[in-house]
Amino acid sequence: MSSLTPLAPTPVAVRAPARRIRVRRGKLVRRIGLNAVALLVFAVMVFPVYWMVATAFKPGRDILDYKPHWFPAPATLSNFTNAIHRQYFWTDVKNSAIVVVCVVTLSMVVAFLAALALSRFRFYGRGAFIVLILGVLMLPLVALIIPMYITMSRAGQIHGLNWVLGVNKLSGVIVMYMTFVLPFSVWTLQGFMRGVPRELEEAAMVDGTTRFGAFVRILLPLVAPGLVATSIFAFIQAWNEYIIAYVFLQDGSKQTITVWLASFTNLHGTDWGPLMAGATLTALPVVVFFVLIQRRISFGLTAGAVKA
Amino acid sequence: MAAIRFTHVIKEYAGGTLAVDDLNLEVAEGEFVVLVGPSGCGKTTALRMVAGLEEITDGEIRIGDRVVNDLAPRDRDIAMVFQNYALYPHKTVYENLVFGLRMRKVPKSEQRRRVEEIARILGLEEMLERRPAQLSGGQRQRVAMGRAIVREPQAFLMDEPLSNLDAKLRVQMRAEIARIQQTLRVTTLYVTHDQVEAMTMGHRVAVMRSGVLQQVDTPQRLYDLPGNLFVASFVGSPAMNLLDVALEREGGGLVCRSGGVEIELPVDIAARRPQLEQYVGRRLALGIRPEALSESSTDPDAPRIRGRALLVEALGAESLAHVEVNAMALDRPELVDVSAAQAHLLPVGDRTATLLARLEHDTGVKPGHVVDLAADVRRLHFFDLDTGSAIPVAGVPVTAAVV
Repeated sequence: MSSLTPLAPTPVAVRAPARRIRVRRGKLVRRIGLNAVALLVFAVMVFPVYWMVATAFKPGRDILDYKPHWFPAPATLSNFTNAIHRQYFWTDVKNSAIVVVCVVTLSMVVAFLAALALSRFRFYGRGAFIVLILGVLMLPLVALIIPMYITMSRAGQIHGLNWVLGVNKLSGVIVMYMTFVLPFSVWTLQGFMRGVPRELEEAAMVDGTTRFGAFVRILLPLVAPGLVATSIFAFIQAWNEYIIAYVFLQDGSKQTITVWLASFTNLHGTDWGPLMAGATLTALPVVVFFVLIQRRISFGLTAGAVKA
Repeated sequence: MAAIRFTHVIKEYAGGTLAVDDLNLEVAEGEFVVLVGPSGCGKTTALRMVAGLEEITDGEIRIGDRVVNDLAPRDRDIAMVFQNYALYPHKTVYENLVFGLRMRKVPKSEQRRRVEEIARILGLEEMLERRPAQLSGGQRQRVAMGRAIVREPQAFLMDEPLSNLDAKLRVQMRAEIARIQQTLRVTTLYVTHDQVEAMTMGHRVAVMRSGVLQQVDTPQRLYDLPGNLFVASFVGSPAMNLLDVALEREGGGLVCRSGGVEIELPVDIAARRPQLEQYVGRRLALGIRPEALSESSTDPDAPRIRGRALLVEALGAESLAHVEVNAMALDRPELVDVSAAQAHLLPVGDRTATLLARLEHDTGVKPGHVVDLAADVRRLHFFDLDTGSAIPVAGVPVTAAVV
């Protein structure tokens, strides 16, 4: 605008600064408004987490006081010791770890191969298969619990299947989790794979690899960011899942950590302090996993963005 | 190094599309053959069949004395340069170059020696630690070439390697590839849709259309003696002028007539094409290259074609005149290369055709002027209107011998 000013007639030149101030003021208001909204969203999302962590450090009477205590002062670690020493804590942490490791590993291997088939080969029924995957993702999980429970409990009575299937078995829960983690993983991964030009594998094959070698040496490193993103999803889903674990696992020694958390609420009410401490501890692995892996994501994304 | 030989090769896709139809072609040891044709003509499919990236429906492909039909790409000992280079984006230039050697278990010290030598030849020494994303288009192209050369394969296969470069770089890389091929004398099969590339690079050029090989010959012979209307219209830039003419006997000689245009054929010209006699009283296609038309001719007997200039393009060394003449343009899209035919301006009048003429750079012709073009009768081409094939010149072999 300023470059036009010398050419403009006087009245415009006089009016222009006024308009500019108005524009600037408008911009300022807009910026403040946007920031306020962002802060509000931030508060809504972060406050529950903060309250959980803060409560975990508060002594019992502060927690139940009618006057809210915004900060845990004086702070105490007794809730954490309580939680850790509660029955089955370490057992259930171990159970959760087993479930998560199995779900993530299995789903990544199977999803990689399935996505490979979907993105690299033309076969009869390919389109229908893709629709089926999406369809499975659209079904609400809760609606399937009862049929799944019945199926699982019957499968557990079949000789030859009952070493892995059946209720009150971690392996059964792992299989259940795969039913919703796998379709999502396959879907996401095949999207990543489509972004990798087929010629790269062809070049590798001409260069001397087998077809599978080309997938492993060329395609796999290029879709690594996709694998990482998908594995984060699988990790979070498997670690945080409650309903299936609650319904399928009855023994305290066989439950996962989320079900263990629910045990703080019983007929006598809720033991808030240790519950919050336990919840904080439960959230930690997810945060740690994400922090560890997120640098790989940003590195991976730049590597994947390159199209030769 | 080894020869590549296609014998009755057929490629049929699921759904019945015939991509390559009975291809017979030999690329001799050390020879540079260019497969050229409009897009979708099957040239890339043919190349990919040699590489093993496409299955062969029928026929036989040999590299050297081995039938490779059922061999995996890695067992064929060929190297390929892809249109989009297909460099491994997560590997450095060095790793890209060495990948093929590692896969073939070449000793480590030998790997390093060969990669460094290639990098020196291609001027990539400074870039060995970079990733493809940090290279310019020309540099990527060089890495792609290097990756092929370093393997020291039996043959090079190149799939439009220059089409992603800008015009100037393309000319430069064209010369570079031709130079490398001459130095290494590696059998090369090169695919392009650009006939200029084909003409400038290949020892021999194979023209394909709709999966069918039209003609294989040296670039010059392809230009001078096109075997059919398609090759005639495809090869050469600007494209050949094609008219629909009637051949008549007048006095003792033959005359080609089309609208108001009359071209008398001298007895010796007619005698060189004995088959022309059979076409007397029928229509045929007459081809005149733009450089066979001139403004003034030293030969006073040269037939003249009168027309009106529509457009004159000054190209520096020469001028390209689009001249509207009262004649019938050839209207047989099924026999010619359609994209080349579109290079000619649409005539303004109803029963007229436009001819392209290469005139002197200092021509005085301006749009709107009436021009008398002299046609060089020794450089006329005649084609059968039904089959599109050229009416042959007696005593000239149909194709050149393999180099």
